[in-house]
Formats: sequence, C-alpha cells, structure tokens
Amino acid sequence: MNNYLDLSVVEIHDLLLQGKIKPIDLVEESFKRLNDNELNAFITIDYEGARKKALELEDMEVPKDNILFGIPIAIKDNIMVSNLKCTCASHILENFISIYDASVITLIKNVNMIIIGKTNMDEFAMGSTSETSYFKTPINPWNKNKVPGGSSGGSAVAVAAGITPFSLGSDTGGSIRQPASFNGIVGMKPTYGRVSRFGLVAFASSLDQIGPMTRNVYENALLLNAICKKDTKDLTSFETNEDFTKLIGKDVKNMKIAVPNYFVSEVVEKEVLDVFNNVLNKLREKGLTIDYVDVNHIDKAPILYQIIAMGEASSNLARFDGIRYGLKEEANTLEDLYKKTRSEGFGVEVKRRIMVGSYILSGENAKIYYNKALQIRDDLKKSFENIYKEYDLILAPTSSRPAYDVGLHKDNPLRSFMDDILVMHANMGGFPSMSLPMGKISGLPIGMQIMGNMLDEAKIYQLGSFIEKELNLNLKVGE
Amino acid sequence: MEYKKTIGIEVHVELKTKEKLFSPSINSYGSLANTNCNIIDLGYPGVLPTLNQEAIDLAIRACSVLNCKIRKKMHFDRKNYFYPDNPKNFQITQERTPIGYDGYVEIDDDGVKKKIEILEMHIEEDTCKSIHSKERTLLDFNRAGVPLVEIVTKPCIKTSKEATLYLEKLRELLLYAGVSDCKIEEGSMRCDANISISNTDSLGVKIEVKNIGSITNVGLAIDYEGIRQEKLLQEGKTLKEETRRYDAKLGKTILMRVKETGNDYRYFPEPDIPYLILTDEKIKEVEGNIPTSSSIRREKYLKAGISLVNVEKLIANKDLSDYLEEFTNINLKTASNLLLGDIQAYLNKTNKTIKDTNLTKEKMLQIVEKLDTNVISNKNFKDIIEDVMETDKSVSDILELKGIKNVVDNEMVLDIINKVIKEQEKVVKDYLDGNDRSLKFLMGQVMKESKGSVNPKLANDLLIETLNSKK
Repeated sequence: MNNYLDLSVVEIHDLLLQGKIKPIDLVEESFKRLNDNELNAFITIDYEGARKKALELEDMEVPKDNILFGIPIAIKDNIMVSNLKCTCASHILENFISIYDASVITLIKNVNMIIIGKTNMDEFAMGSTSETSYFKTPINPWNKNKVPGGSSGGSAVAVAAGITPFSLGSDTGGSIRQPASFNGIVGMKPTYGRVSRFGLVAFASSLDQIGPMTRNVYENALLLNAICKKDTKDLTSFETNEDFTKLIGKDVKNMKIAVPNYFVSEVVEKEVLDVFNNVLNKLREKGLTIDYVDVNHIDKAPILYQIIAMGEASSNLARFDGIRYGLKEEANTLEDLYKKTRSEGFGVEVKRRIMVGSYILSGENAKIYYNKALQIRDDLKKSFENIYKEYDLILAPTSSRPAYDVGLHKDNPLRSFMDDILVMHANMGGFPSMSLPMGKISGLPIGMQIMGNMLDEAKIYQLGSFIEKELNLNLKVGE
Repeated sequence: MEYKKTIGIEVHVELKTKEKLFSPSINSYGSLANTNCNIIDLGYPGVLPTLNQEAIDLAIRACSVLNCKIRKKMHFDRKNYFYPDNPKNFQITQERTPIGYDGYVEIDDDGVKKKIEILEMHIEEDTCKSIHSKERTLLDFNRAGVPLVEIVTKPCIKTSKEATLYLEKLRELLLYAGVSDCKIEEGSMRCDANISISNTDSLGVKIEVKNIGSITNVGLAIDYEGIRQEKLLQEGKTLKEETRRYDAKLGKTILMRVKETGNDYRYFPEPDIPYLILTDEKIKEVEGNIPTSSSIRREKYLKAGISLVNVEKLIANKDLSDYLEEFTNINLKTASNLLLGDIQAYLNKTNKTIKDTNLTKEKMLQIVEKLDTNVISNKNFKDIIEDVMETDKSVSDILELKGIKNVVDNEMVLDIINKVIKEQEKVVKDYLDGNDRSLKFLMGQVMKESKGSVNPKLANDLLIETLNSKK
C-alpha cells in the first residue's frame, strides 16, 4: 500500500486533482493504519460511512480551492456527528447515538472532509492522560508505556500515528495542547467564541473550545479556516472571516516576545527548560526581542480552574439522569433511578468533579468560591492583556515534563492538574494558544506554546511556522 | 391585638411568543404531546440556548405596564435541581438581575385606591408538563422552554379582596398589552399566595399556597388560611413554613410539603448566554408598540352609552373587545348587547371563539343595522344565529331562506292587532281592568296571527297604544 497519508495535504490535494488517487485510497489507508496499530485511539470507527462518503466524492470534480477535499479526519468523541455514537468515553453514554451534527461537523462536511471515526478521550474530557476513559486507554505511539496525554488523547494519537492528518479536539484547560505536546504534533486552542460549541458536550461552558490538531502549523491554520463561522446557535460565537494562513512566511524579527517568569520557574522540569531555552536563544539570534515578565495572579490559574470548571461541570452533567437518553438503571423510585444511573454511569474522576463542583456552588460557597474566582479570573485576564499591550506574543513550555508512565497518577488527581499548570491561562482569559513541538527528551516529544491576545491566531501561526522551520524537527513516530 | 393577614402574591405568566425562550420550537398550547419540542428543549447533550428577542420585548412591555424599573444590563442564572420535568436538571432563570423591579399595580377597592407594590419580575423558562397516573408519569415537553415572567409582590397585601383585585388588574394589564393570554385554566397564568398572620408587629410564619386554579379561589384560599392559621395559633400550636394547595371542591387548603431549611439551588450565572444590554432606544421602541390599554377602551365604551356592567364584561372578555375594535363605524351599544348576549351564549355552547365563526365584519354590521332599524328583532336573530355563525350565506339570504319577513308596515300590524282585539274581547277587558298579564297573552296572539313575521317591539308598542286608546 502507498503511504499517501505521509504526504503534505497540499501534495495529497495535487494527486487528487490530477486524478492519480481517489478519496477512497486515503480512507482505506487510514483504516489500514488504524488496524495495524493497537493504539486504542478510536472509540467508534465509521467504516461504512467513510467509505460511502469517499465513493460519493468520486462523482464530484475536485475543487481547486478546497485543499481539504476528501481528506480523512478524526473527531473527538465529545463532538456530535449524526448517526454515530457519541460516548464522551463514558459508560453513561456508551450506547448513545447522536441525532444531530455539531455546527463544526456541518462545516467539516461542507468542505467534504471524510470522518473516519470518533476518538478516545478522558471521560467527559476530565483528565490529563486519557486514562479516565471508560474504554481502553489510548497508547502513546512514541512509547507504549507512556500516557498519550489528555483529554484529547485519541485525537492526538490519531495524528501522531499517521492514521489521519487532521483531528478535532476540545480544550477546557489544556486538553488540546498538552496531548499535542506529548505526541509531537500541533494543537491550537482558538479564541473563545471562534469555533461554535453547538454540539460539543459541555464540560465547563465558559472555558470549552474546539480546536484543530495537525502534523504541522500550516495545516493547522487550514483546518481552523474551515471550522470558524459565526453560529446563531451559539450565543458566545462571534463574526469571524479570516484566512489564518495569511501571515505565515512573513518576517518575524521585529516581534516582541514575553516570557512570564512563572512559566520558566521550578514548576517546570529542568530538561524541558533546557529545550525551551534553546528555542529562545535561536529566536534571539534571529533578532526577536525576548523579555522576561511578571504577570499578576499567574500562579492562581489552577485553583481558579478547579473552582470554575468543576462548578460548571456539576451543572452541565446534571442532564445525564437516565430519563430521556443514555444509561438507565432499574429502580423503584425516582431518587433510586438518579442514584443508580449516575453511580453506575459515571467514572470516579467525573463523580469526584461533580461532587466538588456541587460543593463549590452550595449555599454561601458560591459567593466564597465561585464569585470570587470569577473576579480573580477577570483580573488575571487583564494582567495578560497588559502584557499584550507591549508584546506581540507570549512563549512558554506546554507541559512541565514529557509524557510519563501509564498509571503513574491515576490515584493522584491533583498531580495531574499540576501538569496543566502552564496551559489553563489561555482558557481563563479566552485567549488563543497553540502548542507545537520544540524537541525531544529521551525519545519523547515535548511541545512549547505560543499564546496570543484575543483574535491573534494568525500572528501565532506566523511565529509558529517560523519556529517550526528554524527547528526543522520533522518528528515522526518510528524514525 | 387581633390577628392581621400579610399576603404576598407570585404570579407566573407565559409570554405569548411564537417560539420558545431558548430554542426555535413553536410555543403553543393544546398541540399533540411532544410535537413542539426539539433537542434543545429535551436537554440533549451538546445543545446550547439561543435567546428569543420577542420574549425580551414582551417582558419589557410587562415591565412598562406594571410600572417596573427596567434593568439595563442583565444576565441569566442557572437554578440547579433534579426533577424529571426539568430536562437539563437546571432551569435558566434570572436570580441576580431580574429584568424588572420596584413596580406597582394600582387597584380600586370600593373607591379607595391602593398601590400593590411589585418587588421584582424575572424571565425564566417553563418546565415540561408531568401527567401522573398510578403506575407512571408521562412527560409532555411541548411546555418545556416556554417563556415565563414571574411577578412577585412585596408582602403588602392585607385582605383577600385586595389580592383578587390585584390579580384581576394584573391580568387585564398584561392581557391588553399583548404580553400573555393569561388563561388560568390553560396554565398560562399561575398564582401562588404567601399568607402569614400575626397579632404583633412582626410577621408571622409564611405559608405558601401554590398553583391556585382561579382568581376567585385565590381569595377563598387566603380567607381559609387566615381562619385555619388563627385557629391553630389560638390552640397554642406553632406554625411551620409549608407549601399547601387549594382544593376548590373541599374549599380547603391541603398540605403538600413542609419546607426544608435552605433549599439549595446552587445558582450561578448562565455561561452560555452573554450579558444582555437594553438601551434606552430599545426600551422606547418596545414601549411604543404596546397596544391600546384597557382604560382607553373602557372610556370609549362608557361614552357610547354601554352600561357599566357590560363595559366590565367586555373588558374582561378581550376576544370580544378585540373583535369590536375592528369596527370604526358601528353602534357600540347594540353591538355589545349582541356580543355579550346571544353571541357569547352561542360561543359558550359550541365552545368556540369568535374567530372560529363565520361572523364576518359585514354580517355583523348588517345585523346591527337591521336591529337598530327594527328590520329584525332580537328573537329573529336567535332564530338565525346558527346560520349566521356557521354558513357563508349573507344575512338577507338567511332571513329569506328561513321565511323571516319582519313586517314593518304599521297598517298591516294594526290590522292584525285589531283582529286579535275583536276575537279576544274578554281578555281585552281583563287588561283594561288592570290585569297586566293579559297583555302578554294578547301579544302572543298577535305573533301567532302574524306567524311571527311582525317586529315584536313594534307590535308591542302598537298593541299598548291601541288598547290604551280604548280606556
């Protein structure tokens, strides 16, 4: 079998245009790669639907201006695709079949990408390793003893293992960027409101955002182009009509970069900092200004995240009660139905977060914790905005260490949280942030993130593409 | 000191929007169960609320007619509780920033005017309807997500009379502003009363009577509660905060549940709906579109010579009043008599609204004109009402088909009268001797003789005139 899926999407598009390959070739290659590796990256594989779609596309002329035509994509299993299961990696939705398309899926279908299947994840996106999945834990293709990161672990693995060039993830507190870092790929959390959340199963509504996960920066911008559109079904979505590739290749040497001291402090492992400093040095050599700065409240993000995300989650997950859809346990009374269904249906981590979230919103606690957290969140956002008044972008490592052993933190949720210590700020402020590979440590990829002000995705891609080119890592599993 | 009542009233009113509050489903009453609901109303995973601007506009109208201040910047909150009629297991409401506050409704209690103060008014979504049977509970999601406003008074109401006057006035104001149908029997207006009694200056224990079925029953429930609570207190018992319902058949309130301390709804701001800003221009625009108020109609009706009783009847029956509004040139007095008399009786009997009938504007005008000019009588109208209401035929065609020819020729009527007087000598004598009942008999004979074709009013007048001339 040919390895068309190792080509860039521009090259694949050319082959499609020339009629040398057909979408079905790409789909079959995806399925073959998927089945050759037991990575548990997928929860649902849509053999029939993907093949049918590929054959339908044969009747169409390949449009010159649509590079994404006929390209396989994997979708995180908390995004609704009609007629496919949407499990959120939870027992409670194990047999739930979606009856509608999320708004991003409508857009994906509009550009005629081919959905291969639904990817594995932490249950309801709650976790940093994908180990809270009700199904088998996805495996890091770089080292099968290591976690793939999470919560969009399956989506990251699908791209890293070459199963699909594209995937969609969701990011509430780093869930796109951290697995991107652990798998050596590029993952973008766009500005809050850039991508419609309609059809994304809500975890923490004020933080959730869908984003693209890809092999490189340019392709990431391409996918973001396809999934951004103001959606009247999502009141938090905004007018957006921009070519995110427009600044790629433009000069970056006049850029002013801020590096918050906290992001390079002892919270990050030394090996990671060494790789990161190496990148900063290269950028300085190229003439970019890099300053170390202090940011107010920057250390408070994890605690804010716990309060806000869990408070919202406790409410968002209340709808899973066994009455209208999903798992329903036999019971004699209403209270019993709720109790049994939710006790059986949710995993330990999800239940823990619902309990904590309910406590946080209870009675006076709402004022002490939740309202206070919203205030500090505003302050945190403002302190980042102040940085962006003087600097173009912020750089930081994505994760404090590379992928670690499976099972290491299964019983230590707080330690897992601390892994996300560098990525939550973007969610708190609604800012865009992208992780891209910056090197390897002991054979494992490690990423760095570029954070920008609201709506500054194009600028992030501009610098990201530059760094990608300078580092010339070409990370590939097995090489 | 004697026991005094303190009453606060909470009213839920369904807004008369085309669509639901947070989804594009149709807002309707009486449809087949579960036909007007979508994935948003059902609380499916992944769905998000949208905001129905029409509901906001109607809430602004309500604020305006209830003299409430309007909050310029507001948001929605989630009220979290588990119940099967609450599809998301949270209800989207306004806990911290109700759209309206500090309003009032003025009532007239036998000439004494009083302002019933409104604490606040907030917008929220309705739950779905539960239908309980022995073995199971059925859920109808047609109502889930229907927009409501909840209007809460201060505890400033002292008597059941004030309470019912407030509710009647509130209903009228909202009905005429086009905010709601305010049909208690269909649940588009729901009343809860909080009643406490005390013989000191501090307030007593609050008892809530929920979902009372009519405005009259609110008054009865309040009176019942006053007596019940006083009796308990006099027996030396202490009252607990509780929720009761009013059973109209028994004429009693019945305990539903004792209130647990601190019901914890875990309120927090709804993250899926951004802050809503109402500009002065927007409020002005909405207020400019409020339909004619009831007070303007009331004035017009009184001016037209309609009796006070009928004016109130018309105002209370907005469908008929609205129908009357469609005419620019009609005898309001005759028309209102017709509407409130035979037409309303017909509508009640057939369970129709006036819009369901074939009573076109033209027909109505013709009938009123024929009545005013004595071409037909009220009795004639009774005879043809079904044809008027149920067929497309013109009034003249119907009269002709039914063979109703009203004789207006005085000579012809007099001939008949004279014939009857001649035949009924004895009865005429009785009448002249002062037996008024004889007149009725003679009149019956006239109608019989004419086969009902003479105008009864005219015949009656002529008969009396003729008889009196024999005195």
